[in-house]
Amino acid sequence: MPLLETRDLTRHFGGLAAVNHVDLTVEKGEIVGLIGPNGAGKTTCFNLLSGFLRPTAGSIVFDGENITGLRPHQIAARGLVRTFQLTTLFQEMTALQNVLLGLHLHSGTGLRQLLFSRRDFPPDEIARGREALELTGLAAHADQLTKNLPHGHQRVLGIAMALAARPRLLLLDEPVTGMNLDESGRVMDLVKTIRGHGTTILLVEHNMKAVMGTCERIVVLNFGQKLAEGTPDEVSTSRDVIQAYLGTGVNHA
Amino acid sequence: MRRRAGVLGVLAILVVLALLVPQLGGDYYVHIFALVFTNVILAASLRPSLTCGQLNIGHSAFMSIGAYTSALLAKNLAVPFELSLLGGAVLATLVGVVIGYPSLRLRGVYFAMVTVAFVEVIRLIAQLWVSLTRGMSGLSGIPKPNLLGMTLTTKASQYYLGLALMLIVLLILWKLEKSRLGLIWKSIGMADNLAQSLGVDIARHKLLAFMLGCFFAGVAGAFYAHFIRFLFPPEFGFLMATNILVYNYVGGRGHFVGAIVGAIFLSLLSEPFRGSPYETIFFSIAMLLTILFLPGGLITLPEKLAGLRRWRAAAPTPSPAA
Repeated sequence: MPLLETRDLTRHFGGLAAVNHVDLTVEKGEIVGLIGPNGAGKTTCFNLLSGFLRPTAGSIVFDGENITGLRPHQIAARGLVRTFQLTTLFQEMTALQNVLLGLHLHSGTGLRQLLFSRRDFPPDEIARGREALELTGLAAHADQLTKNLPHGHQRVLGIAMALAARPRLLLLDEPVTGMNLDESGRVMDLVKTIRGHGTTILLVEHNMKAVMGTCERIVVLNFGQKLAEGTPDEVSTSRDVIQAYLGTGVNHA
Repeated sequence: MRRRAGVLGVLAILVVLALLVPQLGGDYYVHIFALVFTNVILAASLRPSLTCGQLNIGHSAFMSIGAYTSALLAKNLAVPFELSLLGGAVLATLVGVVIGYPSLRLRGVYFAMVTVAFVEVIRLIAQLWVSLTRGMSGLSGIPKPNLLGMTLTTKASQYYLGLALMLIVLLILWKLEKSRLGLIWKSIGMADNLAQSLGVDIARHKLLAFMLGCFFAGVAGAFYAHFIRFLFPPEFGFLMATNILVYNYVGGRGHFVGAIVGAIFLSLLSEPFRGSPYETIFFSIAMLLTILFLPGGLITLPEKLAGLRRWRAAAPTPSPAA
């Protein structure tokens, strides 16, 4: 049984089908890349999977449970956690506080616990938060305000927060966009490490080098529809994919 | 740690000063400061909602509900103050749920518009339900607070009641803000989509924050009713609702103390204009000056001044001949 399976996933915005009958499967332990030209529907797809948008039609099954139409926090509670494009972070909090909020999911959200928590966070949670920062290489910046961190660190912090929520499937939205070669290489290594710890990964990314070097399977979207699917080699040599990215201006005959 | 001790020291001095007001000042100061206490409760109780990023311009309506409920319970049914206060606060909370629940999905200006409309609705109900509230004649003859079987007859004793209520409410709200709940409110205010993606049920938490505000606004209203002993519907209108918001902005939204500083500062300074058209002008100017010169509010003033002094010290002194 796949970890994630969508059937006929469709989302209309007015007359536009941003995502159109997409069947997507992610097996446990995979790193899957979702690519496509601008406007192909990748981000809409992410928003549907994480519950920020409701599908017009189709279903989403996560680990055998139909999660179509659930609200974002309910989906997150089931172990499907996403990150955001660019730097959606709690800018006025420290890096550690950001991660601790990621932990929120697993530390119990009962009202009684919330009201009678004497200190903000118990030591074992703080230890776990520091662990997540350690894993992502941000340990030295734990007590720095997020807004003062350099861009690359902020992006990684987004991943650390999602990790703290202990996801079974992690959706990464453009994790290396805007990074230099060195930084993006480190993030992609991190992605592999995370998978090594047992988390399945689905990522959207424009940086082809990063995608091709990291993902085992790639799904290509174009105009809301699935155009191709396969290993990096299969996809990068597919005529359909090359046409979608480069157009059909030249007559090859 | 030393900073903490300093803060506690300042706090202790303030409380001692507040305790001495009835001895040192006359009834005039007792009256003014008791009103300052209600304003502090109102301003501080708006914080949970504001921290969640909700622009709530309807707080005076909940104060009004608390005030009328407590006053009518005491006047018509001879309910003691501790129970009528609770009744007022609970009813304000219940009405808050009815208003808050459907409007929680609205953001920013849209939520603000609902709350503004609600202020008017409550004001009109208080004005038109003459058989209960006496409408525009005003509700008079409200009993003095009757607490634990004792009637607080002197203004000074009522003043102490107000001081105690304020300190209790502030302690509760401050504890909540420092707890994990407060961190969650902050996270919702900063990036609600991220909070959601981390498993925070933002609808539930926004409602809870809103309800808390309604409850304590009800408390403030109940005290006000038994202290002033006269309720007049237009008092709890749009102007008071915006004033409560302005206390928070002028004081500074970045820290819990901001609401308190703003409420004390503006209530005292606006005292000469109370009830006159100049009151609106005064608050507008205070708000404008804050936005222009102190966007972080009064609580950032010491920092700002220190920065200015450093800058002065670093700049070369102009020669007198030039």
